[in-house]
Amino acid sequence: MTYFSLQKRLHAADGILSLDVKCEIEDAAFISLYGASGAGKTSLLRMLAGFMQPDNGMIKVNDEVWFDSENKINIVPQRRSVGFVFQDYALFPNMNVEENILFALGKNDSKQIIEELLEMTGLRGLRNKKIQMLSGGQKQRVALARAVARKPKLLLLDEPLSAIDNEMRSNLQQTLLSIHSHYKVTAIIVSHDINEIVKLTSKTIHLKNGIIEEYAPPNEIFLNNSRAQNSLKGLFLSAEKNGSMYEVLLLTGEQVIKINCNEPDAKDLQKGDEIEVSFKGAPAFLRKL
Amino acid sequence: MKRRLVKFLIPFLLFHPASLFAQQQKITVAVAANMQYAFNELKAEFEKKYQVNVNGVIGASGNLTRQIMQGAPFDVFISADTKYPESIYSKGFAAEKPKVYARGALVLWTTKKELPLNGHLRFLLSDDIKSIAIANPKIAPYGTAAEILLKKVGLFDMLKSKLVYGESISQTTQFIGTGNADIGFTAKAVVLSNQMKNKGRWIELNSKNYPPIFQSAVLLRYGAKNNSVNAKKFYQFLFSENAKDIYKKYGYIN
Amino acid sequence: MIETAPIFLTLELAFLTTIILFFLSIPLARWISNKKNIFKTFAEVIVSLPLVLPPTVIGFYLLLAFSPTNSFGKFLENYFDVRLAFSFGGLLIGSVIYSLPFMVHPILSGLTSLPDSLEEASYSLGKTKTQTLLSVLLPNIKPSLLTGIVLTFAHTIGEFGVVLMIGGNIPGKTNVASIAVYDEVEALNYHNANIYAAVLIAISVTILFLLYFSNRKLQEVKIL
Repeated sequence: MTYFSLQKRLHAADGILSLDVKCEIEDAAFISLYGASGAGKTSLLRMLAGFMQPDNGMIKVNDEVWFDSENKINIVPQRRSVGFVFQDYALFPNMNVEENILFALGKNDSKQIIEELLEMTGLRGLRNKKIQMLSGGQKQRVALARAVARKPKLLLLDEPLSAIDNEMRSNLQQTLLSIHSHYKVTAIIVSHDINEIVKLTSKTIHLKNGIIEEYAPPNEIFLNNSRAQNSLKGLFLSAEKNGSMYEVLLLTGEQVIKINCNEPDAKDLQKGDEIEVSFKGAPAFLRKL
Repeated sequence: MKRRLVKFLIPFLLFHPASLFAQQQKITVAVAANMQYAFNELKAEFEKKYQVNVNGVIGASGNLTRQIMQGAPFDVFISADTKYPESIYSKGFAAEKPKVYARGALVLWTTKKELPLNGHLRFLLSDDIKSIAIANPKIAPYGTAAEILLKKVGLFDMLKSKLVYGESISQTTQFIGTGNADIGFTAKAVVLSNQMKNKGRWIELNSKNYPPIFQSAVLLRYGAKNNSVNAKKFYQFLFSENAKDIYKKYGYIN
Repeated sequence: MIETAPIFLTLELAFLTTIILFFLSIPLARWISNKKNIFKTFAEVIVSLPLVLPPTVIGFYLLLAFSPTNSFGKFLENYFDVRLAFSFGGLLIGSVIYSLPFMVHPILSGLTSLPDSLEEASYSLGKTKTQTLLSVLLPNIKPSLLTGIVLTFAHTIGEFGVVLMIGGNIPGKTNVASIAVYDEVEALNYHNANIYAAVLIAISVTILFLLYFSNRKLQEVKIL
């Protein structure tokens, strides 16, 4: 069980943001931290890691007190069992792939885990490469392997995939999932990508203006909020008359779909308008691809 | 007409201000640093007597010599030795051979109260004296003189390891004055100067024990060419009875 | 001809000064590069002072400080039986002060240009501040370290003002090459002066060339 209750006055570009959060996370859960830019997500992560000191509060990870302002306890990052994956990877330029991961281990630790991690992240063949020669996706995998090498109690990921292209992204998401389930770490990932959040995490902290607005499974948070079931939201692209119907092209998520609609629903719509499509009546058909 | 005059006058004034004061004559004299005290009085006397402005340029003899040989506009050079004036003459920058105007006197000076000070100099061997300052014999005649004196009284070899060399008489004086050197050899002119008059104690050394520290002056080619009358007047003044009295007052021998 | 002692003395002074400053400046630069507060700004000012003060001023105040008539000099003489003026040790101290900014500034600039996340990553992996400094920070600012070494070494070879004030020009102990050149010029022995100067230039050029060449090798690895 990971528990934190933190307050901090943050200086943002447009004034002061008062961060005031309280949360309890189950062991080995994989949760996401979601919110607009500047909401305080990275700061929260940094406080959990020990890079930033909260003004007030408490952090407790599996019965270990990492921070307690009342009792003046503040464990330095070195003594916290934490793994951190940075947005800019933060790999050590003077070491190759294997050495970067090896650096996490102490003198007496078994090297077995290195082989495991290299295998799981698909980096076996790159183990001796200088990190300057790696692609973004490869670098992030090294960063991930390095962060979990010590089997930390808490794994923190600060928008690790935001700079990666789409194709590589899903690969990496898979890697993240397998690492998480294999090592059973409690993990918190900061992400703007709803796809990612829904795919990877079991619960989402929605941070808004410094407080936790919602803390629930992503399915609930990102559920399209209309009264009707069987509906979806999207962006109108175009409409073409086809007999008595209109063929409408709609952009939803990352897909363009074609739907048959009635007149006059489709009239007077401009490209880019947000619209809601509902399928009343008969249930829809599903088919696995 | 008026405008023409102004147009002519302003550039003229800007570039030839001296011409406006054509009545006031002047000469420029290069002076070795440790002669500056005596020079100030020489300058005052000369100006009073002849109403000619004397402009003194004080510096290290080596520097001044170099500048003269690069064509610096000096009329007369008053040196603290003879080597530099001689080289100026041999390189063709002098109007005539340099002449000796005074002899320097060597003194032994200390600011340490507890040290004994007597003419026999054997006390220099004592362990209480860890450093003895002398001017660099390679470039300063007072240093050469001190070295020869020590050799003459048979103490040089034993004292060699205690010797500390100042680059000039000024620096040697500074070493002694700040107490970094326990004792040292410097010029009498220094210990009689206003700055050092009441600092420490000194004894004058027997001039028989060291070669004369001749100090020469030389009339420069520049002065003879561009400022002949006044430059010669000043140069000759350096050898007058009036000047000789001033030298004596400032610690030089005649 | 010329004597070789001044050349060796100059090289000895330059080597020792560089080594001392290297080990002194790393912790100092590290301390200054951490969170800034008023003390650290003050430290930066003091480190930069020798850049601004004329060497003769530094030398002059050292001379006063070393004098057995003043408290520091007296203390040294009474307790350690040591007089720093006119000694190689005194020159070393003068050199270290005079060249301090030339070692500290490049190292400081190298450390502050490293991203914070590098340090934080190391801490998150359980490494102490010292381990981080030695295994992560220093290896990644090699060009800065090299610059500091080169500048300090070259600067000390050319040191004149400070040595002039406190050296005493003692053969075998404090008559470094720069003073020897000066003496030959003052004595109007331009021929000898030229020889000293030529030797110094040749040595300096060789050392600088070697060091910059190594630096390019380091840069090549980084760019890849």
